[in-house]
Amino acid sequence: MMVHPDDVGVLVRSAASGDKTAWTALVAHFSGLVWSIARAHRLGSADAEEVFQITWLRLIENVSRLKDPERVGAWLATTARNESVKVIRLGARTTITDSPYVLDRASDEESPENVVLESEEGSARMRRTRQLWSAFHQLPGRCQQLLRMLIASPPPSYADIAALLEIAIGSIGPTRGRCLQQLRALLAESEAADSPAHP
Amino acid sequence: MPDDDELEEELRRAERLLDPVPARLMRGAVDMFAWRTIDAELAALAFDSVDAQSAAAVRGSDQPRLLTFQAGERSIELELTGTAAERGISGRLIPAQQAEIEIRLGDQRLTATADALGRFAVTAAGSGPISLRFRPGGSASWQIVTEWISG
Repeated sequence: MMVHPDDVGVLVRSAASGDKTAWTALVAHFSGLVWSIARAHRLGSADAEEVFQITWLRLIENVSRLKDPERVGAWLATTARNESVKVIRLGARTTITDSPYVLDRASDEESPENVVLESEEGSARMRRTRQLWSAFHQLPGRCQQLLRMLIASPPPSYADIAALLEIAIGSIGPTRGRCLQQLRALLAESEAADSPAHP
Repeated sequence: MPDDDELEEELRRAERLLDPVPARLMRGAVDMFAWRTIDAELAALAFDSVDAQSAAAVRGSDQPRLLTFQAGERSIELELTGTAAERGISGRLIPAQQAEIEIRLGDQRLTATADALGRFAVTAAGSGPISLRFRPGGSASWQIVTEWISG
């Protein structure tokens, strides 16, 4: 079910009055964002799962109390961010990046697209996708946080990202550029390591 | 080499393929709608000792975690100790009042009773988000529910 941004406030109000279909639509629409933010903090599966659950549980308790139902996306993002920081303070282990395939969860959660791609000629493309994902996790933490929020679905606005990460709005564009340049360099390194010319 | 927008789009695709939201988690969030407490006052988290500490503690250390929840004139003090293998959940209701309590720990539901001084204590095993709800003074329905916290 595609959710139009204008409908978000309507869904929140319906959920507040007990409409489970509206609640389901909210979960479907914003789960990617909540998950991306938890994982942006390099939380492992169990800790990211806990952040995800707490964030949605908080909304359940607050759904009839939100001052601004249309802004529930930003509310969820802020809650996920705060809970991620708290879980780290509680002693969560952030994922170690020396083993990038630990982060590749395709083996335990095969997305349908993944299954199709792996069986096609697209296996070369899939290899590149994995290389890119692995290179991403070698970026500095701040780059991972910013980029993960920029690619989240639905993506927070630059203003919301600035508030979440406590950075100046004007710094987002340049930082994004620098981080993507670093990513490009890491990707080039791993492709060079792969090439037959490499001894 | 792709430009910035193309690279960002490739990254978006990589995330979708390699780290999507687990479907099971989304189903769980949908089902958790049934956990809402209608008509009870929500006691918001007013203090958490985790926020006050200067360095990340090891989970399950000897330090108890102290929390205070506030709902108007009433508050709940909570003390969490131990590890997921064996944990203590104790506290008191202020002002002092006897109450029936349900302690929610992930999927678990534990019952407890606050004595005339408002004090309660249980031991439990497991992990997950925690929330308590109270029926003080013999009331038939939940009057107070604490904001969910990470367990």
